[in-house]
Amino acid sequence: MIEVRNLWHIYDGKKEALKGVSLTIGNEIVALVGPNGSGKTTLAKHLNGLLKPTKGEILVDGLDTREHSVAELSRVVGYVFQNPENMFFEENVFKEVSFGPKNLGLSDEEVEERVRWALREVNLEGYEDRHPYSLSGGEKQRLAIACILAMKPKYLVLDEPTTGLDEKGAESVKKIVRKLHRDGHGILLITHNMELVLELTDRVILLYNGEKAFDGGVKDFFELNLRDYSLDKPALLKISSSLGLGFFRDLESFLDSALRRVSQ
Amino acid sequence: MISSFYVERDSFLHSLDPRVKLVASFLGIVAMILFNSPYALLPLFLFILLSLRFLGKIGFREQWQVLKPLVPLMIITMIVWPFILKPPLFGLFFGFGYALRLGALGLITFSLLLTTKQRDLILGFIKLKMPYEIGLTLTIALRYIPTLYTLTMTIMDAQKSRGLELERGNFFTRVRKTIPVLIPLIISSIKTAHELSIALESRAFGTKKKRTFLHDIKMELRDYISLTVILGLFIAAAVLRYKYGVGYVRI
Ligand SMILES: Nc1ncnc2c1ncn2[C@@H]1O[C@H](COP(=O)(O)OP(=O)(O)O)[C@@H](O)[C@H]1O
Ligand SMILES: [Mg+2]
Repeated sequence: MIEVRNLWHIYDGKKEALKGVSLTIGNEIVALVGPNGSGKTTLAKHLNGLLKPTKGEILVDGLDTREHSVAELSRVVGYVFQNPENMFFEENVFKEVSFGPKNLGLSDEEVEERVRWALREVNLEGYEDRHPYSLSGGEKQRLAIACILAMKPKYLVLDEPTTGLDEKGAESVKKIVRKLHRDGHGILLITHNMELVLELTDRVILLYNGEKAFDGGVKDFFELNLRDYSLDKPALLKISSSLGLGFFRDLESFLDSALRRVSQ
Repeated sequence: MISSFYVERDSFLHSLDPRVKLVASFLGIVAMILFNSPYALLPLFLFILLSLRFLGKIGFREQWQVLKPLVPLMIITMIVWPFILKPPLFGLFFGFGYALRLGALGLITFSLLLTTKQRDLILGFIKLKMPYEIGLTLTIALRYIPTLYTLTMTIMDAQKSRGLELERGNFFTRVRKTIPVLIPLIISSIKTAHELSIALESRAFGTKKKRTFLHDIKMELRDYISLTVILGLFIAAAVLRYKYGVGYVRI
């Protein structure tokens, strides 16, 4: 379990980016949402020790992030950065994925085994010799996930994993996220995409001005007046509520219910 | 995060014509090169500090922010001279002058950027009959320094999250460890440059030799007065230096 206790972060002694945030994350998919500048990235960077608390503490499976380096924490919390191209530097996919496990000091056989496994997890088998920059958007994102996954962290932070992807690319990423959750990973999903929140997550944490404004189930979340937080309801929920049909997680169950209504 | 250096203030330097500021900065740098004795360089340096503070409303703390990254370089310059020039104390004294020159160079350049909008800077360049491309290239390059800095930090964080430990190891391992940071940085910069050139071309950059301007700048009385004062000061400095040998140590 990741426990964040009364976390404050103040940049350069003046900018209060987080003001007393407390939360816990277990083996679940949690969405972290909020308008730009609300502190999402700042919070996420604390989970693997890239940033240290100004006040308060974070315990990752009992490890205090103030007492462990990023390299140590990266075995427990994997952070997939927003733009995958910001991390690719090797000449092929295989070498790219092996960078992380190599940094952990594993033997060549173990590294190779992990790379093959990670590529299988994200459906990129057979891509070993491709150049990372030659992949499509969705494939790049999945490669980025594989790079982190190969370090076998228990928790994964995904920063805007579907931004800039087409429908097909986004769909492939969603599939991977669901699968990783089933495999027992805890996942923190930073996103602006409310459709993604609706489809993937059970729990939502809303940050606003560096404070936690909401923490609860996805159904309750979409009953908030999201306009107050510069967020927007998914089109699906807008239509279903104007039809008086209630709450749906995906298009299919909505259509089922709508058709039943029509045929009555 | 800063995206451009310009800070909006209501000051004399801010309202001065960019051409006057460009000429003044150039002459200021030349003046720092004319002299080599700290007896002349220190007063010049203090003069720059004070005029930025009182004419440009740029506080000493902000000036320190500019100087801070230069300090290691200034110190190195200073302690190298005693090895070149004997006696050592004289070398140190001489090195101090060089350090002041460096600091002044940084201060003058940055104060030009801090007090002048990018748009006016380019306009000033062109009106001084300098090639437009040079002005544009320079300002774009300067404009991207903060962006590149932020990008470097992001890439470093991304690679640290993959277990890269930049601080560990001897000199050579550390140099090798910069590769995972440098390569994404270079690729991203090339992409940005390419996109920028497309953006420029799609706005018909370079089709007409003679450009027209949306905003124009005009020299006013106080600009002429300032220019005269600056030229006067510079000539006085040159006369002192060449006619009377003030502020120059022969070595
Ligand atoms: N390195 C930094 N230095 C100073 N201020 C920062 C830095 N990074 C973020 N901030 C500020 O902290 C606040 C929260 O930023 P961030 O965590 O990036 O928000 P989000 O990810 O929700 O958009 C913003 O006001 C931002 O300007
Ligand atoms: Mg962010």
